Amino acid sequence: MRPALRLLQPLEAPSHQLSSSLYVCLNCRQGFCPRPRPDVQSRRNASGNSPFTEKVRRKLWGTDDPPGLKDPYGGEGAIQKTFRKRSQEKETPEETQETEITSGMQDEGVLEMDDVAPPLPYERAKTWDGLERLGHLGKWSDYAPTEADEYVKFLPERKLVKMGQLYTAAHQTAVELCLMRELKKPLTDVCQILEHENVVFEQIWRCKVNPVDDSSNVDGQLVFLNQQAKDMLFFVFEQVGSQSEPSTSTQTYENTEIEEENGSTEELVENHKSDAHPFFGYPKPLDIGYLSMSLKDPNMKFAFLKRLSQLTGHFIPDSAIASITNIQAAIDYLETLVKPKPKKLAQQLMTNKELQNIPNVQVFQSRRTRIHQDEELGRRKIIEAGLRERGLFT
Amino acid sequence: MPIQGIRSVTKGRNGVGAFILQCKRLDFHYCDWAGSSRGMLSFLQHYLPSFAKANPQIEIRVSPRPNKHPVVKGHYVNGREKVICVRKLEKEQILQKANLLKEASGEKLKRTKKPVTSLNESVRGIWSPYHGDIKTV
Repeated sequence: MRPALRLLQPLEAPSHQLSSSLYVCLNCRQGFCPRPRPDVQSRRNASGNSPFTEKVRRKLWGTDDPPGLKDPYGGEGAIQKTFRKRSQEKETPEETQETEITSGMQDEGVLEMDDVAPPLPYERAKTWDGLERLGHLGKWSDYAPTEADEYVKFLPERKLVKMGQLYTAAHQTAVELCLMRELKKPLTDVCQILEHENVVFEQIWRCKVNPVDDSSNVDGQLVFLNQQAKDMLFFVFEQVGSQSEPSTSTQTYENTEIEEENGSTEELVENHKSDAHPFFGYPKPLDIGYLSMSLKDPNMKFAFLKRLSQLTGHFIPDSAIASITNIQAAIDYLETLVKPKPKKLAQQLMTNKELQNIPNVQVFQSRRTRIHQDEELGRRKIIEAGLRERGLFT
Repeated sequence: MPIQGIRSVTKGRNGVGAFILQCKRLDFHYCDWAGSSRGMLSFLQHYLPSFAKANPQIEIRVSPRPNKHPVVKGHYVNGREKVICVRKLEKEQILQKANLLKEASGEKLKRTKKPVTSLNESVRGIWSPYHGDIKTV
């Protein structure tokens, strides 16, 4: 049996290499002997060419032909499999087995490069123009907008700022909701109408709303100008939203120029032209009964505030919704939005009538500096005159 | 018709009838943003009108002083100024400070050591050897 050189190598092997005349004691032999270079050192198997794992397996099983996989780690890896597969594909039948063994990994690498190498000769790029882009091919903004990307705001861009217009919007909303309730239609369907025609709006504007405490009693709430106006408004609002049973009073208004705005949104947007004069220039309605109309019913309250927001352009937050119990409260809240308190104290004090009547109080909007003091004392004129004499001030 | 003067009798006021308030102007400075001016803002909104009405002989100026603590500055007849920083003070405390400045004379604060303060250092006057009787030792 071949001796196990591995164990004896550090001690015995140098002794073979050195001359017999040169004696080195056993303690000094470790440091004296040149250490073998790790890259040069090759693995030696004490017995045969079988790897260490195979030997362990044989020892464990107690036989020279143990069952199971020879490699306990599952055979060759994915990279080795790929290389082997490619090499098999590339190999022609006439190629001999020896060339494959001798070429090793370098040849396989060349074959792989031939696979993906461009046909054109290689030129080193100086700029990134024309180079292949890695990663995502484009940003989200590079793609064309889809239908889901389009967003149309519910609130209009313009906001009503005049108190008369706010009252008109609230009155219109109250009349519309009363009409929808009488027609037994979903209240929020009114929001499909962005703007009424002039004729329809005039009839709405002339309607009166008598507040009724009991919200279930809806008969006496709306007071129309006349029966014709009532029929017309009922006809118009029957077309709003989902179509219900056909109306009996439609035959008289089919030839009128009333155009119902229950169509598509595009048509409604096109009809929305009167930004300069909202509500066709109608003033604040004379009727004040609608102001005390109760909004305790949650459905009514939600529909009213939604429609009011749509007409006025003002967003009403949840905290304000909780405290709104009638239409007057809603208008009061909008008034705070339209007329916000001046943020600067100086503006508040200057508008304070009590302070305005007191002669010994002066309120300034800006900080008082030394320049103001010089002006007050008349010193500034002297300074400027002195500077002019010296040619330092023009 | 000849002009007739108003018949009135001069009232004795123990020498204080012609009293002139030494404080001639009060400046109130505040900041709109800073939290230390919260009491000052409240004072200017609620207490300033009544304070100004009660003191018509004092000129009152209100002006912002951004990003600074609120101060009350008093200008006095003697040309001096007194400034009190009223940061984080409540409106009632600021009113006290304003009254303090209003009633101040404008002089530097001095410690009073004697019970009587007078312009004449001595009632008997300064002793002189050339005056008075001949002294015999």
